[in-house]
Parts: sequence; C-alpha cells; structure tokens
Amino acid sequence: MPARTKSQKQATATKKVSQNALVVGGGVAGMQAALDIANQGFKVYLVEKSPSIGGRMAMLDKTFPTLDCSACILTPRLSEVARHPGIKLLTYSDLESVSGKAGSFRVRVIKRARYVKEELCAGCGECSKECPVEVPNEFDWGLGFRKAIYVGFPQSTPSTYTIDMESCIKCKRCERACERKAIDLEMEDERLEFDVGAIIIATGYRLFDVARYYRLGYGRIPDVIHAMEYERLINAAGPTHGHLVRLSDGRIPQSIGFVQCVGARDVTKDVPYCSRVCCMYGIKNAVMAKEHNPDADATIYYADIRAFGKGFEEFYEMARSRFGVKFFRGRAAEVRRDSRTGKLVVRVEDTEKAQPQDVEHDMIVICPGIQPPEDLAKIVEKMGISVTTDGYVDVANRYFGPVDTKVPGIFVCGCADGPKDIPDSVTEGSAAAMKATIILSGGGAA
Amino acid sequence: MSQSQNETVVPEHWEPRILAYCCNWCSYAGADLAGTSRIQYPPNARILRVNCTGRIDPEFILAALEMGADGVLVSGCHPGDCHYTSGNLKLRARWALLEKVIEQSGVDPRRVRLQWASASEAQIFADGVKELTEQVRKIGPIRSEWK
Amino acid sequence: MMGDKVEPRIGVFVCHCGHNIAGVVDVAAVAKMAMSLPYVVFSTDYMFMCADAGQQLIRDKIKELNLNRVVVASCSPRMHEPTFRRVVEESGLNRYLFDQVNLREQVSWCHMRQPKEATEKAMDLVRMSVARAAQLQSLPIKSVNVTPRTLVVGGGIAGLRASLDIAERGFEVVLVERLPELGGHVRKWTHLFPADESGAQIIGPLVKDVEKHRSIKVMQNSEVVEFGGYVGNFTAKIKNHETGRTKSVDVGAVIMATGFEPFRPFGYYGYGESPDIITLAELQELPPRADLLRPSDGKKVNKLAFIGCVGSREAGKQGHEHCSRHCCSAVAKAASDLKDKVGEVMILYQDIRTYGRGHEELYRLARSKFVIYSRFPKDSKPDVQVTANGITMRWYDVLSGDYLEFEPDLLVLASAMVPPGDIAETAKMFGLTRSADGFFNPEHIKLAPLTTHTAGVMIAGAAQAAKNASESVVDASGAAAKAVSLMARGQVEIESTVSHVIPELCSSCRTCVTACPYGAISMDKSREPAVALVTEAKCHGCGTCAAACPSNAIIMYHSTDDQIMAMVEAFLCTPAQVEGGTA
Repeated sequence: MPARTKSQKQATATKKVSQNALVVGGGVAGMQAALDIANQGFKVYLVEKSPSIGGRMAMLDKTFPTLDCSACILTPRLSEVARHPGIKLLTYSDLESVSGKAGSFRVRVIKRARYVKEELCAGCGECSKECPVEVPNEFDWGLGFRKAIYVGFPQSTPSTYTIDMESCIKCKRCERACERKAIDLEMEDERLEFDVGAIIIATGYRLFDVARYYRLGYGRIPDVIHAMEYERLINAAGPTHGHLVRLSDGRIPQSIGFVQCVGARDVTKDVPYCSRVCCMYGIKNAVMAKEHNPDADATIYYADIRAFGKGFEEFYEMARSRFGVKFFRGRAAEVRRDSRTGKLVVRVEDTEKAQPQDVEHDMIVICPGIQPPEDLAKIVEKMGISVTTDGYVDVANRYFGPVDTKVPGIFVCGCADGPKDIPDSVTEGSAAAMKATIILSGGGAA
Repeated sequence: MSQSQNETVVPEHWEPRILAYCCNWCSYAGADLAGTSRIQYPPNARILRVNCTGRIDPEFILAALEMGADGVLVSGCHPGDCHYTSGNLKLRARWALLEKVIEQSGVDPRRVRLQWASASEAQIFADGVKELTEQVRKIGPIRSEWK
Repeated sequence: MMGDKVEPRIGVFVCHCGHNIAGVVDVAAVAKMAMSLPYVVFSTDYMFMCADAGQQLIRDKIKELNLNRVVVASCSPRMHEPTFRRVVEESGLNRYLFDQVNLREQVSWCHMRQPKEATEKAMDLVRMSVARAAQLQSLPIKSVNVTPRTLVVGGGIAGLRASLDIAERGFEVVLVERLPELGGHVRKWTHLFPADESGAQIIGPLVKDVEKHRSIKVMQNSEVVEFGGYVGNFTAKIKNHETGRTKSVDVGAVIMATGFEPFRPFGYYGYGESPDIITLAELQELPPRADLLRPSDGKKVNKLAFIGCVGSREAGKQGHEHCSRHCCSAVAKAASDLKDKVGEVMILYQDIRTYGRGHEELYRLARSKFVIYSRFPKDSKPDVQVTANGITMRWYDVLSGDYLEFEPDLLVLASAMVPPGDIAETAKMFGLTRSADGFFNPEHIKLAPLTTHTAGVMIAGAAQAAKNASESVVDASGAAAKAVSLMARGQVEIESTVSHVIPELCSSCRTCVTACPYGAISMDKSREPAVALVTEAKCHGCGTCAAACPSNAIIMYHSTDDQIMAMVEAFLCTPAQVEGGTA
C-alpha cells in the first residue's frame, strides 16, 4: 500500500474513495496507465475487448524512429502487465455501464465467454493443431489464417486460447486434444461488478477505410495494400513469415510506392486533421522495403513530411541520404493497372515541377490516417461524456487538464483524444495515471 | 616504431581479430544504436561490455594482445561526459603508459585504439571499428610481432 | 560473494527474434556449437525468447536440468536484461547468474549482408558469455528506503505542473528555480501561440497554486551546485545566489524540467542586422497592442514575413538537426491572428507541420485569410538583404518554379528550440546522457520517454526534446507519476554491483581512495595498518578502483578480473585450446 500522510488517511476515510481504478483499453497507452497506477500500490482493472492486450502496436513490425522491432520492445511490457499483482486483466470483455462519481464509480463489465478456461489453459496450442476450421486472421488483417480456436499472435497475453463460436463447428476435437481439460463449450458470458475511484479511457484508434478513395484502387486492384497489411507482410510472425512479396503472384516487388495522407488532412472525407503518425510509419516502411531488398526502389508520395517528434527529422534524413528512399512531393490522384505490362501506375502531380506524371510500381502501399474507434462514442456515452465533431473525446483544457475529460474522475490518454504516436501515447498514459492516483489517494484541490 | 611490417607474411583468408572494450553507458549504447540504425561495419570486433572504461586495467589489453588479438579497441564516453564522472579520465591517464609498454614489447602501438563515442554517436563507433580493422589489416597478424 | 562452489550447469538459449536475428545468423548452428562448450548442459534456439512461451522454456529447463547459470543470446541487455533476470529469479536462481549476449543490435543488424561472418561473430560472443557465466557469482539483493520527497529542477510550466501533481498526491516537493521568478519562458509570452491565451493567463494560476501548497518548498534564485547519491537516496546541494547560502536536501527522486533556450540565429537571414528582424520567441513577447508595430521606428507593419526552420532541420549540423516541433503551428496561429492587423503576410517554409489537434485548422484558417505560404527548397535557402531602405527577401518558390521577392516591414524567424547553454554541465552533474538534438536522452525513446538511464531521475517538457507548452504539461504529469511510484512503494531495489577490498591483500597505498570518483573509499583506521574500505551505499560500481589497485586487492562484483579474462580467453584461444568440458 502506498505511503500516505495522516491528513490523507482522514480525507480518504471521510470521502470513502475507492482504491481501485479502471482502465478501458489494453493498448500501449492503457497498459502504461495501468502500470503507473498499480506501481503506486493501487488496484487496476484493465478491460480489453480483444482476446489479448497489446493493441495496435502488437501488429506492427518495426517502429520509428529507432527501427526497434515492435514485438521486442512490447513483449516485456505485456508480461509486466500480466504478472503485476495489482493489475486484474479482463480481456475479451466489454464495459457495460458506469454510474456514480469521482471517487466512487460503480462499473459493470461483461466478460465474454471464450470457451477456454483462463486458469487452466497453458497456451500450448495442441487444440489449435486439431481444429479443422480455418478462417482469416483479424490480427493479420485477413491476409493469413487462424483456426476457430486461436490466439491472434505468438505473444498473445494472456496466452489463453479463444474459440470463435461463429466459425466453430462443435466437432469437439479441441476438447479431446486438451490435456488440461481447459475447454468448456458450455461457457457463458460473465457479468462483473466493482467499484473504482477513477477511470481512464484508452480505447485507441481505427484505420481510415482506404477503399473510400475509389481512385486509389484499394480493394479493386491486386497489390494495392494498406500500411497495416504491409506491416503484417514484412513481419516474421505474419502470413508470409516476413517475406515481402506480392500477394497476387508471390513475386518480390522491385519497386514500391507509398501513398501518404489517405484519410487525413482531407475535409471532403470528414478527416480534416493530421494523423501524426503516417509520415513517419510511411518512411519507416520504405526503409524496411530497402532493408528487405536493397536494390528495390521505394518512393514516398507526400504533401508535407511531418517529422516532428524526438529523433524523427534525423530518421527522415537518414532514410533519404543513407537508405536512398525517394521522396516525391505530390498527392497521388489515381492508381491503375496497366493491362499490357501488369504494372501499377500512380498518377501524381509533381508539385515541385508542376507536372502530372505517371510512375510505375510493382506494389502500392496506401498509408491511411487514423480515426476514432467505431464504438468510442458508445463507450464514453456510458460515462456521461460526448465526443466532439471529429469523433474524439475532448479534453477539459489543453494546459490545465490535458488528460482530463469534462467529467471529474475520468481521464483520457492515447489516441482516444486524437491521433498520437507511441511515445506521446505512453507519456499520456503516465500522465492520466498521475491524475487518477491523485483522486484515489483522496488528494487534489477538490 | 619498431614493428617489422615488411617481414610479415599475411596468411590467406586471414581476418583481423579485434577485441572491443565498451563502456555500458556511452559506447555500448552507441553500438546498439548503430545496430538499430542498420549502420553496417566490419564484423571483426567482439564487444566486451564493462560498466566504465575506468574499469579497464592495462593488463586486460596486454593480455588480449598476448593471447592473439590483432587489435584492441577501447571506446568510452567523451571526456567530461562519463556516467561515473571521471572514470574515462582515469583510463586516459593510464593509456599513455600503456602505449609505451606496448611499443617496448615490440608490438605496433597502432593495434590499440582509444576512442570516445557517445550513446548517440553510432556512426563514430562504427567508423572506429572500421578504421581499426583496416589499420590492423595493413599491419598484419599479431603472431608475427611477439618476440 | 556467496560461495557458489557447485559446478556450473549452464543453459544457453539462442533467440531468433523472428527474422531479426535468424534472418542473418545461423541460430541453429550457434546453439549446436554452444552445446560443445564447457559446463553447458543444455542449448537450444527459439523463435522469441522474451515471449511468455520463451520465458517458460527457461523456467522449465532450469527446473528440469537443474541449471544454475543461464545465457540468453538475443538482443541488447540494455533492453531485456531486467526481463530475463526476473525469469531466472522466478525459478529460484540469483539474478546475477544470468548473462545476455547481444546478437541483434551488435551482430545481425550491423552485418546484414555478411551472414557467414555474422554467425562466426555470434559464436564467439556466445563462447565468451558462457565462459563468463561459469565465473558468475550470486550477489545479495539489496533494497533501500526511498526518501519521500522529490526534487524538481526548473520552475517553468513543466516544473510547476510536476510539483503540483506530486504535492496533490501527498508527497513533498523541493522546486528549484534559477531565476527570481517562476514561470519560465511561458510567463513572458504575451501570445502563447498556438493558444488563444497569454502566457500569464496559463502560468499565473499554476504559480499561485504552487506557492500556496504546503508540501512544495519553492527555492527561487537558486541552483543545484552538487548532486550525489543513488535512486531513493539522493542529496542535492542548492545554492541561493542572492544570499550565497547553500542548503542540502535529501530526496528520493528527481524531475529535470530544465527546458530549452530559444536559438538566437545570428548569421541567419540578417538576424542582428536590423531591429525589424526578430525571432518567433521575440514576437511572442511583444506587448499586446491594437496594431503590430515595427521595432525600429514604431510604424505600423503592413507587410509581415515569416521564415520557418531557422536553425532547425539542418542535416549534419550538430544540435540543429532536429525539428523544433512547435514552430509551424505557432506560426500558423500568429499569421492568422496578425493578418487582421496587417496588409500582407508571407510565410516561407519547407514542410508545414501543423500536426496537433486543432492545428491543421489553424493552418487552413490562415490560408482562408489569404496568408501566403511559399515553399523553398531545402538546399537553397532564402536570401535576406538589409539595406538603408529596409529588408529584401529573395527566394526560389518551389511550386511556381520562380524566384520571388518580398520586402517585409517585419521579418519573423521561427528559430529553433535548443538546449540551455549549460546543459552539458547539468547532464554531468546528474549523470545523464544527451541525444543528437542536445537534449536529455530518455531511457527508451518510445516506451520509456520520461525516465533516464539514471534510476530515479526523470525528464519532462523541453528538457527531453523540443515541444510546446501543452505537451510539456502532459510530460510533467507523466514524470510525476514515475516519481510518485518510487516514493509510494517506499523501497527500491538497488544494484549489488559494487566493489570490495580484500583487507589481507591491501597494501594501504591509497591509490583507490584517490581513484574513486565518489569518495566511496576510505581508510579503515580500526585495522593496523589501516586498509581501504568501500562504503557500499556510496559506490556506483564503475570499477575504476579495481583497475587502479596495484595489489589486485579490489574485487569489482559482477565484473571481476576473472570474469573479464575468461571472456578474453574464450574469444582468442580457439575452442581446442580451452580446457575440456565437464561431461
């Protein structure tokens, strides 16, 4: 338990402040918030809707600006959260309702049935080997396959398997394969209820649906993929075991075009804001293309290169001068396939020469912007918070409460209040934790 | 200098073997950064991590040369930037003496190199390995020098 | 230290790290080679050693084969040493019986096109690590109490916020500010672009709250002149410049909120040649007036110009390679505000980086008010001439492909945020490293942006990198959380890697006493003759004393002469020459 002064103890006693916190969302921001609260001796319920914590970062191959591999730096964080005695992980769970006020919220959570008992499953994978059903793996953006009983990725935390009942044919082979008798096909959703003093919203983001730009060809033209698919494609644990190939014919692309600002800074698509990460992940992906195949051509089509974070500009410079990534200033207008050569052709105006050009590539990677998750409005509504016109949670004040929502005791971090890169999300996670623990300790000006 | 470079017979396929003592805080981190930045440099050096270059007893370097290291690199924080305030200065003080001893024993002093590379100076670290490797390659294997 | 007389039983685990290592290094061959090394009883390669399953593999093998030393050949120990130390500890093994080989940052990633040589290097490094592992000894796990007080260095917006958060959470703060007044740069700014508020509106309430909080001791006109100790137990000597008095305070944690300095761009675009060429920081400090007046003669400005990236984004120029982050949005806001007061506004830029929430809208607003944005090429900067007739700018406009000219009444240079002039001394005093931008280096740029490699010392705001005021506030709260975590737990584990004098071997020459940078070694006068004695709490573990001792009387734990020499030997003496295995 945290060390506390006498006056605090009294304050706590009179106000009946709960010593627990709730964090909604188990991505990199939510995990950081949970750790920083739990490390002060408080208890944290970490609610995550997917079967594993780790969020979007777990899907990434490398990260900018250090080219660290994402799994390598994230995995210790995953186990730190999972093993922390102060953190109660509630994965595959949804927030049902919130009532009460700062210091004493009543929270109801539905823990969906995963049909595998968490306390018994050792994550050995014998069940999955036996399962005859194969469906596209969401974690690989449908590029790879998983079984009906599955973990999304090797470092899945908890390592408990989950049965996707929509695909399950109830053949019970998994039940027979499981030595530990962890499978329970009769399992039902569980409803949990508990009190918390403070809540942190860390629900992350979703990718802009790039098919909305019809002329860029995504979904219509083979080998036009989006950046998250590219991440899985170059990842050793991904569907091609890390081989950067064209999915249409298995060939190694000799020339890749990266199209920036798709679903960002575009008023006509209701995404007027900058997504903050695309320039840098675009550059990183281009560098990775060079790393996979040094002779390949990697060209980035951009409007402005926004390398604003610590070490970002230096990374941009390195991509240009040392890796030989080409930068082409101009927004791509159209991607088509030349039926004669089979090449993908980007139509783009070179704004530096004021000339429209056609450039040929073997693969096009569209770099989508970030949007709030579809269910964000629904989730925060349960807490009495509304989203603003851009769909994100609004903060109380940029200077006095940059992680406070307009409801006391409820805080926000990561991409829930706007697009953010990993370091900024982590920093906000810590900041939100600080504010939450001020409430839990009965302190603060209130 | 007392080495007898002209008599050296360089065996075929010979590759210089280099031992690199790096301090944990600056140069080892700089070497890590060289990796994450994918800076490519000769694979001849084997890094041995010490907390501080101040930990390096001249004996460690002499022994390495005696055991057959063709070159020894010592890489630490810049003077004034030592994580332990002044350990690197202590090493620098020992270095002059060390070079003398090496020379007197008939070993080409160009086989040892002292450099400063901070945690952000990945390129300087990599260049240091490269330069020493190339230098030692020119001098030839150490076996020919010990009397 | 503790007698590990049992014969070593070493387990070697070689990590693929997906393709990161296995794509270059033949990991199976490395694992096979390791099996032939002395004392190795188990060796394998595995996809991800750091994943739960990999960690479990280590635990299982320790139990199954009674391993008493573990070598993991994977990534840099600077990343995962704590992870694996914890794993072996969970299996009842002392954490100091673990050793890590760096096959990723220092092999596969830097020799990507030389798989054969990389594999040879990997084998050598594993051989060295195994040899060291055989020599490793258990060390006691020590924890110390944490002084429940935090030192905040710097009373700008970040320092104020951090102090307030810690105090509201119930812990004491000592806030040191060099200047007579709290508030930093923000206080001086009449226009806090891109905000609508003035700096005083934002700083005022913060300063008031800090000054009235009973748990915060504010020390203005003061500077830290001496700093020592270790996590949980630091001592800072703070000198008041007015009184000349020095006060010593004990703290458990430190937050560095030392901020930045606006770069004064002499030598750029005529800065210093005309009073009508000013920096963005100077513009932000102009007194609020109905009209924008020119500093030289007080006449109303009709034509206003900005130039971006002044002293920022200069590849190859040390300390100026970074993007200063705040300027694009600040310029967009300033331009759109001031467009209402002047006739023409021209902005020369390289890239527009209005990334923040609401900032793209500021940029659009500026454009809708007919602020002219003109892009100049990176390699051909605008030319500015100052003559008796005024300022003339000439530059190549990328989009029109033409040379353009403009004669502004006032030219604002969006100059860089650079570290304070004395940051090198500050870094030295607090044992911090700095990154290429000159600011302090975080423990990890992505996942640990607020902590440093010096345990217990945090960084917040512009001390960490160029950033704006609202971002600094978030940093401050985050860094405060780190400090509070330390203090709330009340205890913290410290490294046992200290040095130790063997009294019987000591020749009382006092070489180590003068070699120690921390004054941790003194002469134990209770013995006759007096011999050297290490005060462990003061020892930081650099090992300088052990290297200096002429009598080999000093053991540097976890970095002993034997351990180091075993590695040297393992590298240089071919396997055939090494003494045979245990089997």
